Amino acid sequence: MNQSTTQSTVLHAQNVRKSYGTRSNVQQVLKGINLRVLEGEFVGIMGPSGSGKTTLLNVLATIDRPTEGSILIQNVDIAKMKDAELSLFRRDKLGFIFQDYNLLDTLTVKENILLPISLGKIKKKDVEQQFHTITSILGIEELAHKYPHEISGGQKQRTSAGRALIHKPSMVFADEPTGALDSKSASDLLGTMEDINKKQGVTIMMVTHDPVASSYCNRVVFLKDGTIYSELYRGDKTRQAFFKDILNVQAVLGGDNVDAI
Amino acid sequence: MTLFDLIIRSMRKNVKHYYLYFFALIFSTGLYFVFSTLQYDEATLKVMASDASFNTAFKVAGMLLLFIVVVFAFYANQIFLKRRSKEIGVYQLIGLTRKAVARLLVIENILLGLGALLLGICGGALIARLFLIILLKLIGFAGMVNISFSIEAAIQTIIIFSLLIVLTSIQIVRTVYNHTLLELFRADQQAEHPREKNSIISAIIAVMGISLIVYGYSLSGRMTEDTLLLDMLLVLGSTILGTYLLFRVTISWLFCTIRKNKDGHLGLKNSVSLAPLMHRMKANANSLTLITILSAMTLTMVAVSYSLYYSAKADTRAQMPYDFIFENNPQAAKSFSKELEKADISFVYQPIETVKLLGKVGSEDGKDSMLLLPAEQLRQSGIDVILPDQGQAIHYDAHANMNLDSDKQTYPGTVEIEHIGGTTTLELTQLVVKNAINFNVHGNQYVVSESLMNDLKEKLPRADFNEVIVLDTYQIANEQARAKAAELYEKYISEGEYMPNFHTEYKGYLQLFGIFIFIAAFLGLVFLIATGSILYFKQMTEAEQEKQSYKTLRQLGFDVKDIMGGIIRKQLFVFAIPLAIGLLHSIFAVKAAKVLLISDITVPSAIAMGAYIFIYFLFAVLTINYYKRIVKGALKS
Repeated sequence: MNQSTTQSTVLHAQNVRKSYGTRSNVQQVLKGINLRVLEGEFVGIMGPSGSGKTTLLNVLATIDRPTEGSILIQNVDIAKMKDAELSLFRRDKLGFIFQDYNLLDTLTVKENILLPISLGKIKKKDVEQQFHTITSILGIEELAHKYPHEISGGQKQRTSAGRALIHKPSMVFADEPTGALDSKSASDLLGTMEDINKKQGVTIMMVTHDPVASSYCNRVVFLKDGTIYSELYRGDKTRQAFFKDILNVQAVLGGDNVDAI
Repeated sequence: MTLFDLIIRSMRKNVKHYYLYFFALIFSTGLYFVFSTLQYDEATLKVMASDASFNTAFKVAGMLLLFIVVVFAFYANQIFLKRRSKEIGVYQLIGLTRKAVARLLVIENILLGLGALLLGICGGALIARLFLIILLKLIGFAGMVNISFSIEAAIQTIIIFSLLIVLTSIQIVRTVYNHTLLELFRADQQAEHPREKNSIISAIIAVMGISLIVYGYSLSGRMTEDTLLLDMLLVLGSTILGTYLLFRVTISWLFCTIRKNKDGHLGLKNSVSLAPLMHRMKANANSLTLITILSAMTLTMVAVSYSLYYSAKADTRAQMPYDFIFENNPQAAKSFSKELEKADISFVYQPIETVKLLGKVGSEDGKDSMLLLPAEQLRQSGIDVILPDQGQAIHYDAHANMNLDSDKQTYPGTVEIEHIGGTTTLELTQLVVKNAINFNVHGNQYVVSESLMNDLKEKLPRADFNEVIVLDTYQIANEQARAKAAELYEKYISEGEYMPNFHTEYKGYLQLFGIFIFIAAFLGLVFLIATGSILYFKQMTEAEQEKQSYKTLRQLGFDVKDIMGGIIRKQLFVFAIPLAIGLLHSIFAVKAAKVLLISDITVPSAIAMGAYIFIYFLFAVLTINYYKRIVKGALKS
């Protein structure tokens, strides 16, 4: 552990298990995951198809419930919360970026971004200020009044990122955020995410199968068959060096199952 | 797997989409069968034979019913095809030819249609008796109710609905052949994108929509007899066009303005209601206009016919304050009194002496035939009339409101009566909208004090038009006794003479309006089911299309309650706006139709409209529940 000890834990998962199916035909997707994410970390989760990446993200992000185990986010056990509490928790504390953006087609960029704080009692002036800050970081200020169908995929994903950040969440979950983007847009977005992580200190957890994308992270966790296979820390390495390390692990891990770049 | 297996499988899989469509089909088949059964039923035929207008009313209603059923079936079929377009595309993608897909869907349609036909006729046969009882009760027919399964009605229903199946099958074939694969796969993404329109032009058209409606309303209040048809067409045209513009432009413009003012701070509720509505305004304008107009028609029809039925007694009473009268026929009156006594019927008898003369009313040039009635004597017989002062007259006219002429008499006014040795001018204080004596006594009715009438009687020259008429009046409080008395009264009516009595007139109205209300309610019910179902189907489709949005919202941490708040707002718009506008339309239409009635019809109209609104909102509740299921399950899929 080369992280500084002053950082507090944002997320702490202990022995998280998740199984699907009926009693006679149980399929265990997560087989006891232990994971600790510190404040300000940018964690990547990698693994071959079917290794449980998305399930883990969904469980950690309170969208799905674990079958067993405890998940503490800022010392609150979310596994024990009721549905309504979970919703509120998600709305206040978490942000989401999805592979296919999941913007509401009928809303403009600005309306989409402001959605998470629409139920809060924040002053309009403060909201405007916050919106302005975030869109200028993301470089989408000009698009405020455009509809999703009028902008490019990269711009849509930036909008989605804006929506994930507007309410200053404790943690942002990203599920294959670059999956639907071309490489230029992807690297732009990842650069911005890295920037936000460093400068604003936002904790990010990103699921991806793209080694390039995960090379932007501080740490990459590899999953295999529902358990943690290994972890890599970037430390002071350059992105290129870290990328190579990731590739090496992947080669050992997956063989044919690894999605090629 | 054979094609037939595929059909059975797809029908089983689609049953949750089908059941309502199927139910609606069964329902309309059943009602149509009931209607044709009634048409061929002997009991109704007997009643209808006595009046040609019954027959016509039934025929027209039958056509309207057919029209509604056809429109509904087409519309519902279209919505279902759209919902299933992806499925149609998949069939083609896996290598079925268009012909095979068309055959699959047509066989499904035929199976469904035949099933509905069979169940509809069976169900209809079961409930036909109930409807017959209701009908006969409404028209006051007391007798044995016996109804057998009508072969003619069944054949008629089978023919009509087989044609309908053929027509919908053609629609299916056309859909399969006229759409490319790409179109089929994209059918549920056809949300339009509101474009920044020229706001000045939009604003002008928006205001025009409202103006057209207001113009229609104001014109409906001042239609004159000479140009009645033209006026009615103008009212209809401007109201319908105005309604369309309202949905197509005015509301969009309003929404745009609201949204612009929010400047991105839309809030969750508006994001789930206002925004998706704006994106469907173009597609929805037609159906919302149709539903509004049809709701207005149904509401008007039901309200007016219920008012007619409800007011039958009061209206007859307003025209005929006395149960029986004899005009200048004391012998007959004496004999009638004796007969009533013999039959042990208690009655109130009062002879009234009236004077008929010519007088000049207001500033008119000509002279009117006036019937002067003594207030004191009327009061003695139990009629509630105002006692005028000496030198005053009060005009009584039950039909005053039905007079569409613009040059109406104003009150207070004057009446001039010429007589030997001068002219007497009476002050005409007011108009009372009812009769002081039965309508069949000639002359405009003016109530004066007894002394004034006697005074004038002395002074009048003996001319044909100056006549003293003695009326023998009878009031019978008990309804059964009155009916019996009506039979006795019959034989005093000599050939060619018009001597109506309260009981017979009232029963006649009741029968006519009973048929009206029955038909109106029947059509209204079918109509309501049709419009309600169309809205429900449409909303079901929208809910499916917006599933992803709800999923995203749930992921972002909005709970079901928050999202449902917005959805309820959207449903309120979709259901309540057409209803509210339709209601407003119908209120003005009912107001225009008020000339048909004497009594105040606020209460019966409100009752009829209330019943309509209640059933209508059941569909809104159904729809909201459907959305709730979708939102609840959104995270799991």
